[in-house]
Amino acid sequence: MTFIKVKNLLKQYRQGTKTINAVDDIDLNLNKGEFLAIIGSSGSGKSTLLQLIGGLDRPTKGIIEIDGAEITKISDAKLTTLRRDKIGFIFQNFNLIPTLTAAQNVEAVIAKRTKRDRARVKEVLKKVGLEERANHLPSLLSGGEQQRVAIARALINEPAIILADEPTGNLDSKTGESIIRILHDLNKQNKKTVILVTHSDYVKKYADQTIEIKDGKIT
Amino acid sequence: MHCRMILKYFKYLLRSNFKRSYFSNLILLSYDHFIKIKKIMFYLRYLWAELTRRWSKTLTISLGLAMASAIIITIISVSQSLSTAQDKVLNPLQNVGTDIMVSRTVDSEEIQNLDDATREEALNDNRITMDFSKLGEPGEQFANDTLMPGSMLTFASSETEKLDPSLVKTYATGLVLNVVHQEGTIPKLAAEIETGGQRIGFSQSFQVSDADRQAFMDAQQKAMEELKSKGIDPNSEEGQKLMRQSVPNPVSTVNGEVEVPKSVIRQEIGSFSTDVKTENFTLAGVDTSKNDIGLILPNQIVEGRYLEQPGEVVATRAFAQKKNYSLNGTITIAEKEFTLVGIVDPKLYTMSADLYLSLTDAQQLAGRDGRINVLLVKASNADNVKLAGESAAGLFPGAKVTDASETAQQVSGSLVSAASLTDKFIGVTSIIVVLAAFIIVSLLTILSVNKRVREIGTLKAIGWKNHLIIRQIIAENIVIGVIGAALGIGLALGAIALLNHYDISLSATVAGTDNGFGFARRFLGGENNEGVTASVQLNVIYTYTVLALGSLIALAASLFAGALAAIKAAKMKPQEAFRNLE
Repeated sequence: MTFIKVKNLLKQYRQGTKTINAVDDIDLNLNKGEFLAIIGSSGSGKSTLLQLIGGLDRPTKGIIEIDGAEITKISDAKLTTLRRDKIGFIFQNFNLIPTLTAAQNVEAVIAKRTKRDRARVKEVLKKVGLEERANHLPSLLSGGEQQRVAIARALINEPAIILADEPTGNLDSKTGESIIRILHDLNKQNKKTVILVTHSDYVKKYADQTIEIKDGKIT
Repeated sequence: MHCRMILKYFKYLLRSNFKRSYFSNLILLSYDHFIKIKKIMFYLRYLWAELTRRWSKTLTISLGLAMASAIIITIISVSQSLSTAQDKVLNPLQNVGTDIMVSRTVDSEEIQNLDDATREEALNDNRITMDFSKLGEPGEQFANDTLMPGSMLTFASSETEKLDPSLVKTYATGLVLNVVHQEGTIPKLAAEIETGGQRIGFSQSFQVSDADRQAFMDAQQKAMEELKSKGIDPNSEEGQKLMRQSVPNPVSTVNGEVEVPKSVIRQEIGSFSTDVKTENFTLAGVDTSKNDIGLILPNQIVEGRYLEQPGEVVATRAFAQKKNYSLNGTITIAEKEFTLVGIVDPKLYTMSADLYLSLTDAQQLAGRDGRINVLLVKASNADNVKLAGESAAGLFPGAKVTDASETAQQVSGSLVSAASLTDKFIGVTSIIVVLAAFIIVSLLTILSVNKRVREIGTLKAIGWKNHLIIRQIIAENIVIGVIGAALGIGLALGAIALLNHYDISLSATVAGTDNGFGFARRFLGGENNEGVTASVQLNVIYTYTVLALGSLIALAASLFAGALAAIKAAKMKPQEAFRNLE
């Protein structure tokens, strides 16, 4: 069953007088629980594609369906709710709130607050192996640890989809691979649908499906 | 609210079957009950983290707000204190328990327009003897005091009986006199000029009546006939001569001589150069029967005591110092001895004098029994001041009524300039400060939000709705505003304490009343009446209203800045999260 469906997706940018097709007529079908690796060099349009699928940007043309629902036409507020409830984001620069501790960064995303909030925050931090560093500020954590906090944050609302934008880009290869392995575990054990954008070929071996993008097109 | 909470608590206790301890129950209850608050707890912690961990930004913006707030509080407080000080000074009549002052002042320019009676009175009131020879022989020592009411003409004290008792609560009379004190050696200044003794001759012709003329004509006719009968032609030379001899011309002339009576005119000639020293000062006869109204009041005595009986005099501190008078010493005025019983420190008011004595003494010295030239009136209530003034103006011809607003115009000095300066610039300064605060704080706040563009983008990307972000930024700014307001109050109180510590004093001068004596003073080389100068300590007082206003400005500026920053943040796109900025 197709969980994420992308059809004839086009995203154009104006750059002076030129129009650039960042995403050029892309079709994509992804089943629930699949691991998709999008590989491409920088400027290939892979990040733009991820932003469109994640509901952060709107396409110039085309259709994106998540779990059977069209998302390109819905309101900003609904899109925000969709992102909060169904999608967990992981960024190349980790994007933790610098003034909040690891635990607070995770807590910041909680959609429906209950009395179990703290326990759940503890749980997800345990899952990424950062239980003891819960009260540290991001600046006191290593890059790998920061990215694991980001993963914990992406998991707190138990989203079905995890979108990762070059999650290893700012990490050494060993740490990077450990992050990919966590994502792989989430995919296999927790049945999360993972879309990972990278320029590293080695990710292929963890992916169920790999597409390579060049100049906005699948090659 | 509380009832529901307590009910809920008991329900909760029953449900939990008292398995837990009371204490943990309480905690769990609160936890349960305040789950909604708990929901915002995170936002509060985020707020706290944001403000404390970016403390330099928090401090910078708060200080900016504090400065603006403190400046506003300080300038408004200073201005208010100035006007309070000014009010005290600008209502000099109030200092002597008076609403209106009645006098019969004649301006020197007006003297030509006066009716004869008043002009005569003005001249009589101010007649001064300049003939030193009447004081003794040239070369002798002399001291002479001349007392004059000046242009403040006297009027009968019985006029006060006409005051309307329903409008007037109380009143006091006074006689303010200018004293010219001259002492030295009697100069040989009078030239004695002998006049008269001249002999003056005169000649006068008289006309004749018609009857005489007729008689003359008849006689002439008769003579002519007599001459003709004698054979002499009356028109010949001889005939004419004979005619004049027999009929004399009726037009006659009287000739005489008188001698001008001899007299000696004593006249002063030009200005004189002798050792005569001229001084002038002001003397006031005080209505000692009143304690709450009068030219001076007992409570203004700073040393010694108030006037109690005739023969006593009270001097202002300045005059006593100038003249080296000591308490209980003797002062001679117009050859009469007085005892200095007190030193007075009169507040500013227009009718000031150097020496004060009882009204009867003053009247006797000036030879003006039953006459006064100042009437101080306290109206029966504040609403009646105007009416009382109008009724007093009709007491006698030429009555002039002075009230507080008129005396205010006579006050000048640094206090008045400072007050009018603040009056003029307080508005402009406040607007500039408030504008500057709004602009600077807004710029700083927007700058700090711009720096957080990836953070805000990330929050949006991971599901924060705009209203949450707006709320967060506004909340941050409210707290910054509160800190700024608190710091502002602190700074302002510090500034006010500092201003008060430095003992800034301002002066105010009440122009002396021109008693028409200026001419005599100039002529005699005396000093000018410079009026009374009071030094007013600038005591800056703050009110809670002003503190609240200053705080409000800090809060408003931070809210305004927060609103701008929130709009900016709301416009930020979630994909800013992907921005590569360090």
